[in-house]
Amino acid sequence: MEGELMEADVVVSSRLSFKKIQSSEKYPKGQSTRRWKHLKQILQSENCTPDLPNYVNIESPPSTQPCKRICDVTGFEAPYVDPRTNLRYANAHVFKTLRSLSPDQVHQYLSIRNAAVVLK
Amino acid sequence: MTDDDGDQINRVGRGSMSFVPRIRRQTDYNTYPPSIPIVIDNGASYFRIGWAGETEPRVVFRNIVQRPRHKATGETVTIVGDLDPALMKYFDCTRSGPRSPFDSNVVYQFEIMEYILDFAFDRLGANGSRIDHPILITECACNPVQSRSKMAELLFETYGVPAVAFGVDAAFSYKYNQLHGICKEDGIVLCPGFTTTHAIPFVDGEPVYKGSCRTNIGGYHVTDYLKQLLSLKYPFHSSRFTWEKAEDLKLEHCYIAPDYASEVRLFQEGTKEAEEKTRYWQLPWIPPPTEVPPSEEEIARKAAIREKQGQRLREMAEAKKLSKINEMESELSSLRFLVKQLDQVEEDDIPTFLSDTGYASRQELESTILKVTQSLRKARGEPMNEPSEIEENTDSLNNEKYPLMNIPDDMLTPEQLKDKKRQMFLKSTTEGRLRARQKRNEEELEKERRNQLEEERRRENPEFYLEEMRAQYKEVLERVEQKKRLKTNGSSNGNNKSGGVGRGERLSAAQRERMRLLTTAAFDRGKGEDTFGARDEDWQLYKLMSKDNDDDDEQPDSDEAELARLTSRLQEIDPTFVQKVEGENQTPGEVPRVRQLTEEDYKIVIGIERFRCPEILFHPNLVGIEQVGLDEMAGASIRRLPHEETELEEKKLTSSILMTGGCSLLPGMKERLEYGIRMIRPCGDPIIVVRAMDPVLDAWRGASAFAANLNF
Repeated sequence: MEGELMEADVVVSSRLSFKKIQSSEKYPKGQSTRRWKHLKQILQSENCTPDLPNYVNIESPPSTQPCKRICDVTGFEAPYVDPRTNLRYANAHVFKTLRSLSPDQVHQYLSIRNAAVVLK
Repeated sequence: MTDDDGDQINRVGRGSMSFVPRIRRQTDYNTYPPSIPIVIDNGASYFRIGWAGETEPRVVFRNIVQRPRHKATGETVTIVGDLDPALMKYFDCTRSGPRSPFDSNVVYQFEIMEYILDFAFDRLGANGSRIDHPILITECACNPVQSRSKMAELLFETYGVPAVAFGVDAAFSYKYNQLHGICKEDGIVLCPGFTTTHAIPFVDGEPVYKGSCRTNIGGYHVTDYLKQLLSLKYPFHSSRFTWEKAEDLKLEHCYIAPDYASEVRLFQEGTKEAEEKTRYWQLPWIPPPTEVPPSEEEIARKAAIREKQGQRLREMAEAKKLSKINEMESELSSLRFLVKQLDQVEEDDIPTFLSDTGYASRQELESTILKVTQSLRKARGEPMNEPSEIEENTDSLNNEKYPLMNIPDDMLTPEQLKDKKRQMFLKSTTEGRLRARQKRNEEELEKERRNQLEEERRRENPEFYLEEMRAQYKEVLERVEQKKRLKTNGSSNGNNKSGGVGRGERLSAAQRERMRLLTTAAFDRGKGEDTFGARDEDWQLYKLMSKDNDDDDEQPDSDEAELARLTSRLQEIDPTFVQKVEGENQTPGEVPRVRQLTEEDYKIVIGIERFRCPEILFHPNLVGIEQVGLDEMAGASIRRLPHEETELEEKKLTSSILMTGGCSLLPGMKERLEYGIRMIRPCGDPIIVVRAMDPVLDAWRGASAFAANLNF
């Protein structure tokens, strides 16, 4: 390896003295993409008693306050919704820019709000 | 032995954002006896490790791993934490994005966790055959058992750790602050972290997890929101907005508005305060080299040069003309001499005499003389009596060249007939040329006349004329653009609903026609056999099809010519006329590049985004997450507390609310929280919100203090 890299010492060496089993033995090459369970799967397979608090239990409830509607493009208060694209807008000026957006951008704006319709 | 029921405090915090320099290996590992625990704060953003009892963690780095391939050797190496950009050139980073062991705030990828622990212990200076010290590691509140057990397994089996304890970081932070008297025994800790936010109530110094609640929003979402907003607002510069850059911007500029609606109104009305609150980020921009209007001397110099050049050319032309004149004169004189000689010679000897000189007859000679004199006169610049001379010439030429023309056909031999045909052809072409020239002259005269008329009209009534012109221009522009649109099937405005899915193209008339022709040709007439092509007329189909295409191209030409004329006219006479460029209407997603990119374009304005992005901490449904925000979380957590346990005074809880976690560093959070919580609690309740001493490091410090006290 280059001298500079050795000097920087950023790389984790593959053989460490304090480890009982080295990583290279544990994860032989080619198999390194082991299937780790994602959070959803972990939660599903968890044996949870509803009395005691557990990961799922302590999720917050949905909000009771009225939903705040702000314009997707500018951030102002937005009482209006564009029927064609479902974007919220604040006034006519913003509306004009809305209509001139490309479908890609519209999709992105909506997906920020988690309101995009994904056609598979 | 694991400490399951002990203090479980959640800690998902963030450290300082400045790039962490290379971490030197610690050298004093061996000075610590095996009883001193190692304290690890395993956060979704940063990883902190150090010795128990100290106030600062020894090693801090970002909790990500990259596995690029080394360019020279080709092996895959592991790099933990931020990579120095200078060293990046050694690695091929295409397939290795930064990976985190976390999914939300739970560790699930233990291979990556192992790399991180490797690096951490290595930097702490570990040597020897195993890690001899007990370890206290933080996790999230109510960590799923699987994750915890795997972590324990990793520590025990791979590192040989003698003892492991788990704790929740938010609780550690609360205890630490309680030690220092910032918050009381009963209270609530609000911890907005990197990926999640927790609210955990404390009763008698112990966290009550039954009453805790967690919202899945955190600093990561705020940064992401900022990044996306900026990319959408400035699509031209979207490559500039990396995640790291967005995070930097957030740390520097974001704040929490005490009341979102009123802040927004400030900006909407464009008040001066709004102006003050807006920040500008100027991207590097090199203006194109402007053409400095040449100074006077330069102009004079250039003019002088041009004149000299012109002079030189003129002189050369003069010289050439003179030489030509001389030549012709000499030729003329020799010819005349020849003629004179001819006169002296007898009739019969003419052909032999002339054969030397190359002229066939006397007439030819005379015609050449005539020609030369003519050109001489032209060269000398004497005015010529054009038409009549030409006519004369043509007449005489006609009679000479086409002697056979006037003799009727039946009197000629076949050879002569051929000649006659040739002569007729020649004559018609020359005549045609003459006619064309005449027509052009007429047209020019006509145009001149029209221009003069227009000029007069303009002078009479300038305003009205201008209006007319403009209206005409608009009309023609419309027509041309429409035609263009039809031709190129532009329909970006038409098909928004399906979001780009499906055929966005409308076939033009020509294409439709072609399709129709093709389908009719291919249509099986029911005879069971394809007989297309058997008859000759079938192939006419292709001619039709191609002609259709051609026709389309010719028609707009007249309109376009009209347009061009109008534009030039308008540009001359109207000082305010700006040519409407076509690029503006077509793809508004990209910047219309027809106008000069000014410095303005490179200025990123961050006004509303400053407080719009952290707003999602209080209103997660702005980004589509249907959960309560920070202020309501306190209320929800109080509600959830089981009431039968102790005589709780909720007032006690709200009078000691602690904010920790990286996100609580945002300015304005305290006031906003107070305001928010006051709204949901009964009137008159004491509400005191305090911020932890160091929201970022307090969890580690709390854990360290805890580890130092407790005997494992």
